This record gives sequence, structure tokens and C-alpha cells, in this order.
Amino acid sequence: MSEPQHILLVDDEDGIRKVLGLTLADRGFTVHAAENAEKGLALFRELKPTIVITDIKMPGMDGLELLRTIKAEAQGDHGHDAEVILITGHGDIDLAIQGIKLDATDFVTKPISDDALDIALRRASERLNMRRAIREHTQELERLVEQKTRQLLAAERLAAIGQTVAGLSHAIKNMASGLEGSIFLLGKGLEMDRRAYLEQGWEMLQANVEKIKNLSLEMLRYAKPEALKPTLCDPALPAREVTELLQLKAKAAGVELSLSQPPDMAPVRLDAEALHRCLMNLVGNALDACQAAGFGPDAPGGQVRLAVEPVPGGGVRYSVSDNGCGLDAEAKSRLFTAFFSTKGEGGSGLGLMTTKKIVEEHGGTIAVTSEKGSGTAFDVVIPGQGELNV
Amino acid sequence: MTKVPGRARVLVVDDEMHLRLYIAAVFETAGYETATARDGEEGFHKAFEWKPDLVSLDLMMPNQGGIRLFQRLKADGELKKAGVLVVSAIGGEAFRHSLSLVRSGMLSNDGGPLPDVDGYVEKPPSPEALLQEAARILEAKGATAQGALTQNIDAEH
Repeated sequence: MSEPQHILLVDDEDGIRKVLGLTLADRGFTVHAAENAEKGLALFRELKPTIVITDIKMPGMDGLELLRTIKAEAQGDHGHDAEVILITGHGDIDLAIQGIKLDATDFVTKPISDDALDIALRRASERLNMRRAIREHTQELERLVEQKTRQLLAAERLAAIGQTVAGLSHAIKNMASGLEGSIFLLGKGLEMDRRAYLEQGWEMLQANVEKIKNLSLEMLRYAKPEALKPTLCDPALPAREVTELLQLKAKAAGVELSLSQPPDMAPVRLDAEALHRCLMNLVGNALDACQAAGFGPDAPGGQVRLAVEPVPGGGVRYSVSDNGCGLDAEAKSRLFTAFFSTKGEGGSGLGLMTTKKIVEEHGGTIAVTSEKGSGTAFDVVIPGQGELNV
Repeated sequence: MTKVPGRARVLVVDDEMHLRLYIAAVFETAGYETATARDGEEGFHKAFEWKPDLVSLDLMMPNQGGIRLFQRLKADGELKKAGVLVVSAIGGEAFRHSLSLVRSGMLSNDGGPLPDVDGYVEKPPSPEALLQEAARILEAKGATAQGALTQNIDAEH
């Protein structure tokens, strides 16, 4: 052992403290002595020795009580454990056994022989080493588990991306076909001077470029999630922006898009840009659902309502409801999975998944209620932060 | 619809509008007569009325898929003469594998095993692949492979 080990020696007999103290110092230990258990405990807490040798029978607190206290404190958060060797008088075997039950290392009988002392000390030092090894092993295991967990998460992420690509292959091949088709039609249009081919090719090119742009941007967002940047802001702001942006599209689709927000909402800590994306998705879906239900410029009556309201605790609730085509049970159960889309060619199957992810990163929840044929309502709740309530 | 003598007829069946337009334009500009259909059901009716020499067929379509249409065509005494060219997003290997599975479990209506498809082009289809595969199928069927077609391919290369 490189540095001297500290031993606390507790005995009410002056002579034993002196003789045993010398014997221990002789073996290279630094010895601290106390004449009763109370003082011993105080020294123990202060000096944190690795070995304690204590008499059992002492006035006041006895050796077993000292042992019990030390072992109990070792269970605590900042507890310091030590090997405790008991000194017993002749015929105190019952007390010694009680001591062993309390996790004493060993006991030596008065008068203390050098051999018995050496055996007890060796046992103490073995147990100390073992405990250190176990502690190091545990730490190593914890480190390994953490490392493996990280690798597992990374692998899962990769698998998700792989799955993404596989799930998209049909959509990608169709888009590639669309591009091939556009080039062919534009080429033939030019070559044969056929305006109809030129127009079809041009329309096809625009539609497919738009699809590819949207899909790749969304995949980018999914593969490399930006960290949220929450700030204290007006929670109605993203709702106002989205309502304004989609107003024209709604009008063109014969849908009445309305926003309700209470005046003077308390600020909420959230990433307004991310929430903007969520509401864009939800309101955009609601408009599509109205279209799918048959509402249109010549068949008005579609309604999409976006409502913002405070929730207890300083949070905010966004609800988006429509009277569109609604969802069946199967669609509802698969709504938030990647690449599930009810819109056929029109949907990437990533919008709601991304929305859910953003909401959950805010510590929030998203819920849906819908009946096939009678509309859908999404409810997003972003909780308030404790600090805002103080 | 009167059949122009010497011009082979191609019926393009695909649920994707852009693919219908594109594939039809490929055959049209190569001198074929073309018609289009959005799913298996519509495809069968068009085939029945129009008697195409070749059906360009997508496999994965809503309503009635391509396999079912293929089976119905082959079950019809007249329509089974038409060549069938599958244009699918399913990769070549996977396509052949699933087709052999489907064929082994499926009998044509006259009790015999379902015949193989005549040709296959993976999506995205190139104009050259479509035209070459179509010409090969029509030639094998003894139908008049479009004369303009060969010239057209020669002109492009």
C-alpha cells in the first residue's frame, strides 16, 4: 500500500490504547485513538479512516452501537464505509457473534495476540480491496452500459433512416418516373413542335420538382433534428402566422379557416418556429381533409378552426378541428408512424410524425379525435415551465 | 374507334397520372395508337372495347391491381392474345420472385397455370426500354411491330 492507512482505535482502557497503538504504528498504520465511542465517532466522521478497531464494552455508547452507526451511515449518500474489528473480552463470544452479524470484519480477544491481530488486519485489507474492485467494476459496467446504450440509439436512428428510405422507394421511383416523363415530353415537344407535349411536360416537371423538394427537406429535418430553441413568446403568434399563410389556400378550397385566441395571453416558453411547422402540418391536413370530403370552390361549407387557449400551469393548448373526411380506426392507430399517409401520392407520411416529435420535445402531448366521415380534431398541449409560475 | 391498319395499339394502365401521360406519349410519338386507364377495372373495360395489341401494366394500383387485370386478360379468349408489359416500381429480382409465387398459387380460368408476363420494365422506365421491350413482345406475338418504331429508335441513337 502506497500511502499509510489510517486506523481509528477506540478503547476506554488507557493501557490497551497505548500498547495496541504502538503495535499498529509499528505495522505502518497511522493511528488515531479515542477513549470512548462518542469521541471515536466524531473522529471517524472527521478523518474517515479505512479501519476501525473498537472495544465492545465501554461506558456510554458501546462498540456494537458504534459499529451499527458506522454501517448505517455508510448506506447514506455521503457515507464512508470502513472495516470494523471488534475487541472482546474473554467469554464475550455472543457479543462477538452479534458484531459479525452487524458486518464487523473480525474480532480479536483480549489479551490481543500479534497473530490474531495480523489475521484480522489482513482480512480487513482484503475486504477493502475487494470492495474497491467491486466499485471499480460497477463503474466500468455503468460506463459500458451507457456507451452501449448510446451506440444502440445511434443504430436505431440509422435503422430508422434505412427504413425511411425503403419505405419511400415507391414514392421515389414514381417521382423519378415523373422526371423522366417531363424530360421526354419536353424533348418531344421541342423536337416535334407540339405545344401540348410542352405544356404537359412543364406541368409534370413543376409538380415533381415540388414533390422532391418537399420530401427531401422533410427528410433532412427528420434525419438531423435541430435542437429546439425555446424562448418566452406569445403562444398565439405561430397560430396567427399559419392562419394568415393558409388563408388563400383555404379560400381557394372553399373552406372557411378561422382563428380564435383570447386577448393578452401570458407568454409561454416554446420554440415558435417549430410550433409554426406543427400547426402548418395540422391545418394543412385539415384543409386536405375538407377537400377529400368534397368541399371545394363550388361546394363551400368546409370549416377549419384553429383555437389557442391557456392551460392551467402556464401552458398553452392548440386545437385544430375540421369537418372533413375524418379518419377510420386503422388510420388513427397508424397516424404518427413514419410513412403512413392517407393522402396517397400527396403525402410524405412524415408530417404528423415530425409534429409529434416537436410536441414531445416540448414535454407536451398531442391527441386526436376523429370519426370517419364527420371530421377530425387535433389537440396539442404545451405545458408551462415551473419557473414561470413562481 | 377505327383501327388504323399497321398501327399497333398500346393500352397504358397506371394509377399515377404522370406515368400514364409519359408512357402514352412514349408510344404515341413512336407511332403507336394509345389509350389509357387508371386501374384494373377501367383497364379491363378499355381492353374489351378497344382490343389492344399490348397492355403496359402497373402492378400496385388501388381498386383493382395489375395482377388481377393480368389474370382477367389471360382468361378472356380474345384478350389473351394481347402482350402484357409490366412497368413496376418493384425491383426486377423481387418482381420475378413474387410473380412466380403468385403464378404458382393461381390458375387461369380455363384451369391451366397462369402464363408468364411477356415483358418487364422497372420504374422509372426509360423511353428506350419501353419501346424495345414492346417491339420484342409484339414481334414474338407475330403482330405488326410498328415500322415507325424502329426508325424512331434508330433516329435517336
